[in-house]
Amino acid sequence: MRFDTIIIGGGLSGLVSAIECARAGRRTAIVSAGQSALHFWSGSFELLGKVGDKTVIENPLGQINQLDESHPYRVIGEERLRSLLSKVPDLLKDAGLKSSGSLSSNHLRLTPLGFMKPAWLTLDDYVYFEPGKPMPWKKVALVNIYSYIDFYPRFLAHGLQKKGVECKMASVNIPELDILRKSTTEMRATNMSRFLTDEAVDHLAAQINKVATGVDAVIMPAVLGIYSDAPVERLRKGVDVPVWFVPTTPASVPGVRCQLSLRDLFIRLGGEFMPGDTVVKGEFEKKRLKKIYTVNFGDMPLEAENFVISTGSFFGHGLIADMERIYEPALGLDLNVKGGRTEWYKKDFYASQPYMTYGVTTDSRFRPSRHGEIIENLYATGALLAGFNALKEGSGAGITLATALHAASDITGS
Amino acid sequence: MPVKYDHTKEYDVIVIGGGATGAGTARDCAMRGLKTILIERLDFTAGATGRNHGLLHSGARYAHTDPESAAECIKENMILKRIARHCIEETGGLFVSLPEDGLDYHTAFIDDCLKAGIPAEELDPKEALRIEPSVNPDIIGAVKVPDGSVDPFRLTTANVMAARMNGADILTYQEVEGFIKDGTRIAGVKLRSRRDGSTREVRGRVTINAAGIWGHRLAELAGITLNMYPAKGSLLIFGHRINQMVLNRCRKPGDADILVPGDTICVIGTTSTRIPYDQIDNMEVTPEEVDLLLREGVKLSPAMAWTRILRAYAGVRPLVAADNDPSGRSISRGIVCIDHEKRDGVEGFITITGGKLMTYRLMAEEATDMACRKLDVDRPCRTAEVPLPGSEETADNRKRRAHIIELSTEQKAAEERHGSLTAKIVSDDDAADALVCECEQVSVGEVNYAIEELHVHNLVNLRRRTRLGMGTCQGELCACRGAGLLERHDKCTQRSLDDLASFLDERWHGMYPVCWGETLVEIQFTSWLYEGVCGLDPSEVNVIDNPTQH
Amino acid sequence: MMTLQQQNISDNNFESCIKCTICTVYCPVTAVNPDYPGPKQAGPDGERYRLKKPFFYDEALKYCLNCKRCEVACPNDVRIGDIIQTARIKYAKHRPSLRDSMLADTDTVGTMASAFAPIVNYTLGLKPVKLLMDKVLGIDDQRTFPKYSSVKFETWFRKHAEAEQEKFSRHVAYFHGCYVNYNYPQLGMDFVKVFNAVGIGVRLLEKEKCCGVAKIANRCIKDATRDAEINLRSIREAVGNGCDVMLTSSTCCFTIRDEYSHVLKLDNKDVRDHISLATRELFRLVDEGKAKLVFRKDFHKRVAYHIPCHMDKLGWSVYSTSLLKMIPGLDFVRLDPHCCGIAGTYGFKKEYYDYSQAIGAPLFRQILDSNLDSVATDCETCKWQIEMSTGLPVENPISLIAQALDVEATIAANQK
Repeated sequence: MRFDTIIIGGGLSGLVSAIECARAGRRTAIVSAGQSALHFWSGSFELLGKVGDKTVIENPLGQINQLDESHPYRVIGEERLRSLLSKVPDLLKDAGLKSSGSLSSNHLRLTPLGFMKPAWLTLDDYVYFEPGKPMPWKKVALVNIYSYIDFYPRFLAHGLQKKGVECKMASVNIPELDILRKSTTEMRATNMSRFLTDEAVDHLAAQINKVATGVDAVIMPAVLGIYSDAPVERLRKGVDVPVWFVPTTPASVPGVRCQLSLRDLFIRLGGEFMPGDTVVKGEFEKKRLKKIYTVNFGDMPLEAENFVISTGSFFGHGLIADMERIYEPALGLDLNVKGGRTEWYKKDFYASQPYMTYGVTTDSRFRPSRHGEIIENLYATGALLAGFNALKEGSGAGITLATALHAASDITGS
Repeated sequence: MPVKYDHTKEYDVIVIGGGATGAGTARDCAMRGLKTILIERLDFTAGATGRNHGLLHSGARYAHTDPESAAECIKENMILKRIARHCIEETGGLFVSLPEDGLDYHTAFIDDCLKAGIPAEELDPKEALRIEPSVNPDIIGAVKVPDGSVDPFRLTTANVMAARMNGADILTYQEVEGFIKDGTRIAGVKLRSRRDGSTREVRGRVTINAAGIWGHRLAELAGITLNMYPAKGSLLIFGHRINQMVLNRCRKPGDADILVPGDTICVIGTTSTRIPYDQIDNMEVTPEEVDLLLREGVKLSPAMAWTRILRAYAGVRPLVAADNDPSGRSISRGIVCIDHEKRDGVEGFITITGGKLMTYRLMAEEATDMACRKLDVDRPCRTAEVPLPGSEETADNRKRRAHIIELSTEQKAAEERHGSLTAKIVSDDDAADALVCECEQVSVGEVNYAIEELHVHNLVNLRRRTRLGMGTCQGELCACRGAGLLERHDKCTQRSLDDLASFLDERWHGMYPVCWGETLVEIQFTSWLYEGVCGLDPSEVNVIDNPTQH
Repeated sequence: MMTLQQQNISDNNFESCIKCTICTVYCPVTAVNPDYPGPKQAGPDGERYRLKKPFFYDEALKYCLNCKRCEVACPNDVRIGDIIQTARIKYAKHRPSLRDSMLADTDTVGTMASAFAPIVNYTLGLKPVKLLMDKVLGIDDQRTFPKYSSVKFETWFRKHAEAEQEKFSRHVAYFHGCYVNYNYPQLGMDFVKVFNAVGIGVRLLEKEKCCGVAKIANRCIKDATRDAEINLRSIREAVGNGCDVMLTSSTCCFTIRDEYSHVLKLDNKDVRDHISLATRELFRLVDEGKAKLVFRKDFHKRVAYHIPCHMDKLGWSVYSTSLLKMIPGLDFVRLDPHCCGIAGTYGFKKEYYDYSQAIGAPLFRQILDSNLDSVATDCETCKWQIEMSTGLPVENPISLIAQALDVEATIAANQK
């Protein structure tokens, strides 16, 4: 089966480069081994939140010269980075996701544990603050759903009170959720969102109105709107004060929403999405990747002009570690890993872990090498890339998006 | 549970050390009507008790080398099966011979077992493979013995509860800084809280040092020289039960020769290395030890080569120099109960040490007998007859879940953990039934019960009482849920966040020695969730420096 | 040096689960049935406890549809569905009921029903009979039964088609499955028509039994294994004779390729790659230039393709949709991937009927809203469910190709 471009990996990076390729009229396919880390998304994309120990607020792109020369941001360069990333809000809008934020200054998102973290773009319904400006509310109600244990009102209150916001806590219940509550485990945010549609939302709104009196806003767990905005809009109409959401830990409603929305956009653009399949090997010829073989397609390989590999880090098995070594399992690409397993980690959990910086090494166009030779029609993007600790920098989404867009523009020649 | 003790009261007995021996001694003393207080510097089972195989020895392991210990073991084995039913599992055990071991040891072994009163049955290797399919199919000999597994956390907690029910007071996170001396008498202890730094004194007529390897330091504080030699033993925890019966190599005790199924997991161990005394609070498993455990372990059960390893940990065996041997060469492996009045002229001070988890009750009995003699009390020991709390025979207290099955999985799991005390766990509403730890099936009701009744101050305590965070994901999914519930009781949000951060670091400490494969994926995922999504920034929380000091 | 741990996962790979919970997002049962523990608890979490003690087995595992959507979603390739099915087989205390054994035994029931097809079809449609089956057997009276054919496909083939097949120089073997044989021989005829048109002869297997999917789902494992062994023997023989084995049912195909080894623990490695779906093979021939399809100009249909769950697991829907998209007169509509709810015999059972319909509801809505002439799908039970629940005809892609094909022109084009 032949395509113009094949993307290996169906997470944020893969979807974004695939969408750009499909939009440019290329016949594009995604081979995705199961669902991606995007499912845990907080609702905010980070660009650069920290350089060393310093929190970055103003002009994050202006700080990239403090990063290593080999850092993907440095490789792309400030100006190009700005132009690539400025496309992102529109791309999200095409997929049906409304967001706000600015490349010139970070805002602060409210995390599920009540911390404030620098972010660049945040989905419109999620709590964030503009640093340096007064808080938008004097008093909020933190409203949980009865018996739901992945929302932490007291931790949130701790964070908000530090910023001078008074908090009131309440929980609400509607009979539509009783069915989930009967299960000991399935009262999950994503499952609740399957029930919180239509009239159930009105009932929820009525219950919230009862407890959210005398407040400027309601903050609640993100348990609505997994498939569309409609339930959220309906809730906002029904509740007397503005409603805001805080993401929950896995899997998150904004994460699944983003995944499905981007996938649907890709398919609408004519792309072929092949879920649940794993690339087992590539066939190379004269520094080019000709074909890939997958578990499902067996002896019928997939061929393309260009390939993009965005299989992620260890999560998602973009990289695999055994007792002795770390390798890239799909195509056998070169990595920046040095030393045996004692070199991979530090004993302090919160130290900058070397394994987090491992990935495939590339040229300045993000084309990876194999046995020391650059593969000319292959690009690597996102968390699979080497040379940065996205967790410590608060740069994961930015790198993922920038490298995906960079690769797509290289492929489509735009 | 609030700190409970009476500072005006003079206790009959102060027991120092919240391991199995200390808890057992407190129970025995309290059951004999002595006014007792149990003092632990960290949490129960934080020392060697919580860091061993969890093997319910039949004694067979010692039948050849130490017949006396073997006889003690089989006797205590039978007692525990009666009094601690919810803490033990009668899995049975196999001693298997590999071609490289030969059959010489095997033949002598059966005789030695029978001589020590241990029922040992020779099995055809094929039969052994049939009843325990995980065993190496190359075995040339097999002997079945009544080994089993014992959960040291449950056992210790049950002893603490029994002590409490019999009137004993319990203090945790109180470190002995010195002794109150009345001439040559030890008249009490000076304590400093490890939680808030406050100090206090507790007075008692007899003080029993049941602090294991830390008893060496304690004795020093009392001005006594007690030569203890720490030997480190490392072990690996596998993700699930490979084996249903305890597997032993039938040869002279050596490295990695026992695989014990314990609750949802199984444990291979151990190694044995002498370490300097100043390292006892810095236990770390080296890559060489991991390799050794695996290399030898797969010989017992080949499945270890493809089973996920959850953690590595190490404990310290307190080896005691036989009395009056300052060189320390002659090591006693049996129970050592020292009357320091006789040995050192220090009155009111007893050390109970040596021995093993299996003989904790017997050690407690000996120490309590000695304390009773000093206090001139003549009451018999009843700890071998009275069941521990949770192990009583009770009417069926199971709650039925009408619509499908008799008991839900988490109710079954809770019952295995708390025995008859499961009745105290609220499970009559859906909110209490919700699972906090999905890997180990720990419900909100069980967490609340543990917090209210089982001396829980932090997530590590909660883990030891319930298994929360001990499963496949090592806290990824449940750490924040647990922190959220603890915070509701503790009401100090910052401390709960610090505790959450410390707990994740503590979990990592056992994971990094085996950090490859899915263990590495798991920890990367955990980091993303907590540091990334949740924004748990190490600069905004206080993490306990040494993860073994919970 | 050999690594001490080649991989750190067990044989049945449940330990690859890193507790990310993604599977729970995609389980169709969770959304309708609170008694089902969900794929994570029923699968890897429960497995760990069952390995501790079989006492931890939870009878609620029976609510699993075995749709494998959890497996497709899992980022760590945990075979969650297999774990659940294997646990049901290993630990369930109740023996399969008479009803379950009957539903599972498609061969015996089919042979008997075919012999008396008109009576059976009439009787199965009668309200009193349906009520009786509902009350006595627990087969829901709201369920429409597939019609039985009076002439079995095998009989038709031997009588009308077999002789001409040997004039072809290339051959494939056709595993028709129970549905084609007893209920809908037309699909088999369409298959023969299309493959013959591109110059490929069709043979039947020496002996074909039911693939076993229904027996596996109903825990009739001994029977399923016996049938599977017969099938594998026949398949090996065909493959030995240079014939790859083609199927028109995605579920039978998935069962023989994957469930035989994963659930029944039969070794099929040697022939697995020779067992394929008809649309996959046809696509390969067209893609490699070894076959040409010429379509009629007067064929016009608006068709939506529904991906059966097991097709999603096979990962092969792209072959069927690519072929459908080649038909000029076919207005192709994409449906969101969604389980139809029937899951073979599951939806026939009284106790699951409502769950089954609730699971499929969003799919039926989308189909009814799409102004279609028909729905295409590769699975016969999806076909029953969608036909019953939407009133629209449902056709196998091979049948649609057969309808749209200009047979004469195709034969001519392939003879060149």
